[in-house]
Amino acid sequence: MLHFAKSLTRLLGELKKLPGVGEKTALRLAFHLLKSPDNVTALAESLLEMKSRVRFCSSCFGITEEDPCYLCSANRDDGVICVVEEPQDLLAVERSQGFHGRYHVLQGALSPLSGITPANLRIAELLHRLEDGKVREVLLATNFTVEGEATALYLTKLIKPLGIRVTRLAHGIPTGSDLEYVDAATVQRALEGRSEM
Amino acid sequence: MKLETLTVNSFRNIGSAAIVADDRLNIFHGNNAQGKTNLLESIFLLGTMKSFRLAKNQELVQWGAANAFLKGIVAHNGITQEITLLINNEGKKARVDQKALTRLADFFGCLNVVVFSPEELQMVRGMPESRRRYLDRAIFSSDISYLALHHEYCKILRHRNAMLRKGERQGLEVWSEQLAEAGSKIVEKRVAYLEELGELLQLYYRDIAGLDEAATVTYLPQKLNRDSLQLRGETRELLLAAIQRCGMEEERLGTTLVGPHRDDIEFKLGSKALKHYGSQGEQRSFILALKMAEIEYMQRRFGHPPILLLDDMTSELDQGRNRNLMEFIDQKAMQVFITTTHLENIRMQGITRYKTFLVEDGTVIH
Ligand SMILES: [Zn+2]
Repeated sequence: MLHFAKSLTRLLGELKKLPGVGEKTALRLAFHLLKSPDNVTALAESLLEMKSRVRFCSSCFGITEEDPCYLCSANRDDGVICVVEEPQDLLAVERSQGFHGRYHVLQGALSPLSGITPANLRIAELLHRLEDGKVREVLLATNFTVEGEATALYLTKLIKPLGIRVTRLAHGIPTGSDLEYVDAATVQRALEGRSEM
Repeated sequence: MKLETLTVNSFRNIGSAAIVADDRLNIFHGNNAQGKTNLLESIFLLGTMKSFRLAKNQELVQWGAANAFLKGIVAHNGITQEITLLINNEGKKARVDQKALTRLADFFGCLNVVVFSPEELQMVRGMPESRRRYLDRAIFSSDISYLALHHEYCKILRHRNAMLRKGERQGLEVWSEQLAEAGSKIVEKRVAYLEELGELLQLYYRDIAGLDEAATVTYLPQKLNRDSLQLRGETRELLLAAIQRCGMEEERLGTTLVGPHRDDIEFKLGSKALKHYGSQGEQRSFILALKMAEIEYMQRRFGHPPILLLDDMTSELDQGRNRNLMEFIDQKAMQVFITTTHLENIRMQGITRYKTFLVEDGTVIH
């Protein structure tokens, strides 16, 4: 459409790939950036820096710049691992300040409709972490969606036979909701009231 | 509970309409395809956020408009509430007294509606799907948690079917368990609802038909090896066992064969299946009694009768059954919205108090 400003068209194309950004929002963002040259340099640099420095922790698969991440190397309880779907869910649990063990990020949830099978998740890596016998409890904090529940059930069937206690966040959290959008106080209550699987 | 005024903008073929309703009988009349049923649908949407015609949001918005807007002023127990609904491609936004609502539960109960349409008369002979749809809608009208449960079940079912279709095995038992868990809750709610409805049905059928023949509704779960689920609490296990038994067949067909999405309801008069042996008259009396039972059930649940939406029913029911229905409405002092092509059909029945609205090409003429 904007044959007279190809670079703008390209930017719009890139912006529209972002979640929640449509034609209108992309235009608004692009024109905003066009008018404020200072922001653009900082924004572009931070994007590049983020991409080059942030990676997944080789132990918990959360996001980090150092490997292992600060949560894996900090002095925390090695006996409990909290399993979440995405790095942002880890942040939601951490924000509640009610959990002091280690984390494991699955990087998704089982979803046959989207072709996500157990092999696509960091499940083998989780089982590997349980091998040394230090872990007493695995706390499943996957989302309260049908996909999150199925993932929790699948993991329970794998982990329980190993003689490790498996717990699930209590249902203080509305069903069908993503952990990321639930407030810290609710997560804390759900942590305290966790139930046996 | 009465709907005092209804405002409709850019909804289906209706550009703009505003009516002040009678607190008893309101008649939308005019030729077919002019927009009469659209008005009933708009009232149903204000009550449930759902379309009784299973329409997508996009279909509800008038061609060329960005949003459809519906507004109803509802009076109940001396309090009036304003309910609005904004519909567009992205979804539906409801407000009650200008406050935005995000949870369906907050919206629920502000306006109780029941629709009675020719589709329901046909369900006796129709496919099991039409009977399941009827039952689901009836339960949802008085149990808000049922809708979320239903959504959850459908999602699990789609995931499980995707696995069966692709021949994937790893993790299938997890989806089977989820299916049995959600499915059993649906089945138990359906069975409990039909049990209570059945008693009321019996009374109303006797009134209408004047016979002592027993009118019954029975839930028919498929592949469970049980006639009816009298044994509460073990439905989950029964479903799981049935899934086990059907494993090979499911793999071969690539789809889930066990669960509430396959079940049916049986309507019977005495020992006679209405579907195969009932006369047309018996079938109509039966469905009419079933509808009355549904309304009575809602009245018991909420403490007042719902608003009744009758879509072109007077031409479907004969004079005698029309009289039964009108007496029932009168006795309950319910507010009713009726569509008809022939106004005289309704006038014939000696009703004196009503308001009529002529609907022509998407416009309401008072
Ligand atoms: Zn880590």
